[in-house]
Amino acid sequence: MHDRRSFLKLGAGAAVGGIAAALPSAVSATECASNIKWDETRDVIVVGSGFAGLSSALNAKRQGLGSILVLEKMQVIGGNSAINGGWLAIPKNPIQLAQGINDDSPEELVKDQIISGRGMQNTDMLRQIANRALDAYQLCIDTGVKFREGFNQQVGGHNKARAIRTLHGVGGDITTKLYEAGKKEGVEYRLQHYVEDFIMDGQEIVGLKVRQNYRFPDLKTGKTIYIKANKAVILAHGGFSRNLVLRELVDPALDKTLDCTNALGATGEVTLTAMAHGAFPVHMSFIQTGHWGSPDEGGFGWSNALLSIGFHKGISVNVLDGKRFMNERADRKTCSDAIMKNRHPDGSPAYPVVFFNHDDHIGAEEVTRAVRDQIAWKVDSLEQLAKQFNIPLAPLKQTVAEYNKQVPQRIDPLFGRMMDTAVELKPPFIVSRIWPKVHYCMGGLKTDLGARVLHSQTLAPMKNLYAVGEATGGTHGGTRLSSTACLECLTMGIIVAETIKSDMQA
Amino acid sequence: MMKTLLLTLVVATLFTGAANAGDLVKMKGSTQGRSNHEFIYQDGCKGCHQGSGKQNATDAACVECHGEITSIPVDESKLAIPEAHPHKSLHYNQGASCLACHGEHEKKAPVCAECHRTWFKEM
Repeated sequence: MHDRRSFLKLGAGAAVGGIAAALPSAVSATECASNIKWDETRDVIVVGSGFAGLSSALNAKRQGLGSILVLEKMQVIGGNSAINGGWLAIPKNPIQLAQGINDDSPEELVKDQIISGRGMQNTDMLRQIANRALDAYQLCIDTGVKFREGFNQQVGGHNKARAIRTLHGVGGDITTKLYEAGKKEGVEYRLQHYVEDFIMDGQEIVGLKVRQNYRFPDLKTGKTIYIKANKAVILAHGGFSRNLVLRELVDPALDKTLDCTNALGATGEVTLTAMAHGAFPVHMSFIQTGHWGSPDEGGFGWSNALLSIGFHKGISVNVLDGKRFMNERADRKTCSDAIMKNRHPDGSPAYPVVFFNHDDHIGAEEVTRAVRDQIAWKVDSLEQLAKQFNIPLAPLKQTVAEYNKQVPQRIDPLFGRMMDTAVELKPPFIVSRIWPKVHYCMGGLKTDLGARVLHSQTLAPMKNLYAVGEATGGTHGGTRLSSTACLECLTMGIIVAETIKSDMQA
Repeated sequence: MMKTLLLTLVVATLFTGAANAGDLVKMKGSTQGRSNHEFIYQDGCKGCHQGSGKQNATDAACVECHGEITSIPVDESKLAIPEAHPHKSLHYNQGASCLACHGEHEKKAPVCAECHRTWFKEM
């Protein structure tokens, strides 16, 4: 039954719309641990190579857990972390202390996270992570990660300035260093290795069925091998923001027109495979979207920073009728919903535009890089704006005239926007297009504090199966605070290695 | 020794005024390949594809002649910004497969172009 030919048939049927779907238990039913012919054996296998996977692998090696193998299905190391923005919340970090901020603490961070988690967060887990934040920081420093000198900021939802940022403002500054340190210390990494299935012995994981030499997203590529895991399998495969089918199943508001800030590999099939073997998922429908996306770039991009100007100094306009349609300063969810109502009659997105005065922001990096990379454009007049984006001119002119009348009065009778930062609109303008993007999955596999994956029947840990990072669920609750994902991943990589060591001794 | 051969071939290609090194040209039947790899095709597929042509090639085939990613020069005058150096990527550095950006038998957009859409073209 599990010869390659029958697998291929099943695999082809399971590929949905180019998204690699999980192969459920139909395939695995016949694969008992006892009749597997193992191609290879390692002590610990880590699935995924983002912050969580890289930290887990390096720390597992340092804990003396033996041979460590990291499997990454894509053709690059780093997962979504490599393209992340490089923000890291560390209470009591040296830069913060040098700034004279002495009243922060792990508990202060947890307080903020309880508010954003809306009561559904796992406070004990958050506290454990916050308490080890300085260990995560030290891990970075020891492996050669460079942070911006003197830079420590207060970011959204935090009551203290405690977020530091990597030198180049990319998570790659961290992933490349963790990877290179791991290589030096004997961790083995493999690209293009796709986990097809777990090999279980009851509720204990004993190894993985892996497609070697796989080329995303084609499940017919590569060949199947079996790798035995003597001590542990650590799931660090990230979230599922790029799995359009799954995310719409759990949150029907996330229709397929929504792009995503994540790397293409964030499809979460390993979460589904774990669920098929009994792992308990929580909060799957809690998915963070940003209303600040641009359809003219991939990833998180420049749009967010550009709109930090546009939503204050400019207006958003529906291209079909030339009118404003929302309070540009409302929260994420309110804005996302309003933006996504902009549709052509066939349901396809009619991307709204946001524009503000060019002359007020000459030389601003947010503007110059956006224009350079063609996600924003300079237009010299409302006529040019209307022509370039196919907006009816007369109503557009009327919209701007009415808005300009409200600016000095500091009121927005249409949408009730706070107008304290608004300015009168005068061409030339900087204009960009907007559409929300899916950003982060709060939900995933439920673990105990030691990162042991819980089984959905017994609610007890599944033997030798661990999960860390965005692959897990329930840590952050309703919403995750910015700059805390990297912290969670790095810290849990340290903790999971300690857990496995203690489980080995038990 | 392979490196010397490679350099000789590149120089030869430049002087004969044929297709530019790296251009996609017909190699064998309907299979296309890079003009600077012509000599490899003379020995069949197994020079790059281990076992059989039906199996995906790995980086090993590239590294044997070209060396490791961080040691391979690129024309820096063509970069959108200095930080956009694909062989010293801020996101991946040594952690990128050659195949993430380069295709032998077909044109391919590099992995960077997924986000930075104006910085790189199909190669």
